[in-house]
Amino acid sequence: MVLSRALIVPPAILLAAGLVAPLVRVLAEGAGGFDFALLVDPYLGWRLAWSFIQAGVTCVLALAIGLPLSWALARFDFTLRTFVLRALMLPFVMPTLVAAIGVLAIFGPHGVAGINLQDTPWLLLYGNLFYNLPLVVRAGVDGFAAVPASQLAAARTLGASRVRAFLRVEWPLVRPWLASALCLVFVYCFAGFGLALLLGGQRYATVEVEIYTLVAYELNFADAGLLALVNLVASGAVALAYAWREKRLSVALKVEPLAPQKPQTLAEHLGLAAALATLAFVSFAPLAAVAASGLAAGWDVWMGLWNEEGRLALFNTLRFTATTALLAGLFGVAHALAARRSVFWRAAAFLPFIVSPVCVAFGLLLLYPEFTASLPLLIGAYLLLAYPFVAKSLAAALDAEPPELARAARTLGASPWRAFWRVRWPLMRPALSRGLAFAAATAVGEFAVTLFLSRPEWLTLTTLIYQLLGRPGSAAAAQALATLLMALSLIAFWLIERQAAHARTR
Amino acid sequence: MITLRRVAPALLLSLLALSSLSVKAAELRLMTHASFELPKPLIADFERQAGVKLTVIKAGDAGEMLNKLILMRANPIADVVYGIDNTLAAKAIKAGVLDAAPTVKTVYTLPGGLAAVDYGVVTLNVDKAWFAKNKKALPRTLAELATPAYKDLFVVQNPATSSPGLAFLVATVDAMGEEAAFAWWAKLRDNGLKVAKGWSEAYYTDFSKNGGARPIVVSYATSPAAEVFYGKEKLNDAPTASLPLPGASFLQIEGAAPVKGGREPAAAKRFVAWLQSAPVQKALQTGMWMYPAVPGTALAPVFRFAPQPAGVKPVDAAKIDENAQRWVSRWTRVVIKGGR
Repeated sequence: MVLSRALIVPPAILLAAGLVAPLVRVLAEGAGGFDFALLVDPYLGWRLAWSFIQAGVTCVLALAIGLPLSWALARFDFTLRTFVLRALMLPFVMPTLVAAIGVLAIFGPHGVAGINLQDTPWLLLYGNLFYNLPLVVRAGVDGFAAVPASQLAAARTLGASRVRAFLRVEWPLVRPWLASALCLVFVYCFAGFGLALLLGGQRYATVEVEIYTLVAYELNFADAGLLALVNLVASGAVALAYAWREKRLSVALKVEPLAPQKPQTLAEHLGLAAALATLAFVSFAPLAAVAASGLAAGWDVWMGLWNEEGRLALFNTLRFTATTALLAGLFGVAHALAARRSVFWRAAAFLPFIVSPVCVAFGLLLLYPEFTASLPLLIGAYLLLAYPFVAKSLAAALDAEPPELARAARTLGASPWRAFWRVRWPLMRPALSRGLAFAAATAVGEFAVTLFLSRPEWLTLTTLIYQLLGRPGSAAAAQALATLLMALSLIAFWLIERQAAHARTR
Repeated sequence: MITLRRVAPALLLSLLALSSLSVKAAELRLMTHASFELPKPLIADFERQAGVKLTVIKAGDAGEMLNKLILMRANPIADVVYGIDNTLAAKAIKAGVLDAAPTVKTVYTLPGGLAAVDYGVVTLNVDKAWFAKNKKALPRTLAELATPAYKDLFVVQNPATSSPGLAFLVATVDAMGEEAAFAWWAKLRDNGLKVAKGWSEAYYTDFSKNGGARPIVVSYATSPAAEVFYGKEKLNDAPTASLPLPGASFLQIEGAAPVKGGREPAAAKRFVAWLQSAPVQKALQTGMWMYPAVPGTALAPVFRFAPQPAGVKPVDAAKIDENAQRWVSRWTRVVIKGGR
């Protein structure tokens, strides 16, 4: 126990030095200038309200769509099932601007769907869903897979209908997994710069955009700090409330996972088809549009990418992602093991998503001038944004872990280490690999990091895509590069999850 | 059982991780904006001549870059800066972050010891195919842009977060006078003006040439030439054209200067002079899509698609500095919040 408490030290240091200290530094810079009249400004009030509304609506929609989808993906086996589960995470690696181009290729003025949704709230919600549904679906699939086969079989044998079995057996067990994902969706949408803003223009800007303008363009730390605090309190409250619930919701499960079955009846076939069609519509259509344009870009464009810059970007993307994934695994496991009994530390895992990135960037500049534009700082920033995914998904798995297994091993004479490695570790691995896949995806797609000082020799595929989109006539090249990014990510997910598949089949 | 097959991925990851921890000693540190781009061989030439290693630090767009420089005044993180333009020059001088650099004679000049390196013209761009297909005439004045005939056809960048957006706002205020300009902006708002966060967003998601529905966008006079240069098929004609309506063009002059308190003042001055040398003046045209500031520099062939708008005069830098923040706040009030 003492050991697992001590594990919190590295992640705690990272959070304190990388997020809390810079934020405090920026607040100190603006101290004395706080003007609370700012908060009753109707315009900002609307911004705050809008941030809440869009985050809330996205959560409701993500649950309504994600629940049946994840159930179908967890219960039915079909060709390409693993591929679909991996491809689900691709929205995470897409640079926002490219995702917007993909969305517009379908629902824009020249879109293939034939309906122009540009500048309507529908497109914003669609964009939010596109980005966030994967979180809910992946968590739901893991949750449903962890439902003990015997409990479900017993309910069905005793005459419960499919629906009743779902409501009485599956739903209570899956709830904590989904709640965890939805909480993340909320803070993401609330504090996000995201796709919504891009697809909606400035009318739909969130508070974070205001903070960005105040800091980067006006050096107005007083107003920015105040708004950042308001944001922090609002989404921090959500994270805390959730962490408290999460502790209470946790149910220890027997370990007898349900393997997915081939659909049998016509109804099952139709249900699965409907689920896959929805998934294709929400998550894959924009990606497919980008890939289609990327592949259609032609040989010249592809060859044009294979220059010194392209190679450098490729190499950097690989090494930064590998470094981030490796460290995120260590920090995430430490955080999850240490935070099991603490509401505070459970909530702290959300900090990197809640604290305003632009405040952190300027805070770091003020705090560590000698380290700005240094690689450790860049990697640290990547790590901060990526490791919570590992901590979150592991927390859900640890909550569902049956304590008696490890105890039995100890009774039979296994040392604590041996009990951990031989009993607990194999149970944690699937959740760990899901967390790692999301961490890697975040590292690949993370663009907020470039709010720091960057250097040409740190060029990554994502930054190169943005560089291309910073000049005219480069849409085709950018989409070709984004296609390459998707292909690489799929390979990375396959590498990460293959390990977990081994663990399950042994 | 630990087998090689199971350890190999972890080993590979660790090696990759280690490879990202090697750091090089920096010598001359250049701070610049995100659009800085010059051919590597040229930079290598400079390093050889000056005997320094050039470290390039990119700090976002020009406004953000200057703010970071001002913030780090006491402990400068760069020795030389490139990319401060005439909308920011006065602010930089007031903050005292620059040292003077010697400069050759240039077409336009910047105040406060900034050596002019290049200049560009922010102006309207139109999608030629859209106007041909819809048989609509191009607007002849800015006033016409605010009439129902051009409803929902125009996208601008937010001047609070974008350099071209700010440049265009300043151009309109300078041409019409403040009150008339904001009255025109209010009309535009009612005429379905769309505001995008930055240049890339406007050009790639709202401009009808790409994914959007709006055939008129704020961009640069050189953008049509870049369209030809980077275009998929080698074009003989640009798909877009600049439309320098009266009062819609802003002359942007970019310069460089040593940073006050930098470690390498001599190398910094050398770097500024190098930016004004013939090879760089030639290369920056198709690297950063600006016109060379040193007279007598030959223009790249593709610049025949980038005619310089006639009769555009630079706006007084001090006037911009005095009013920019107030204009931007007022613009936000009028265009985003729908006030006055």
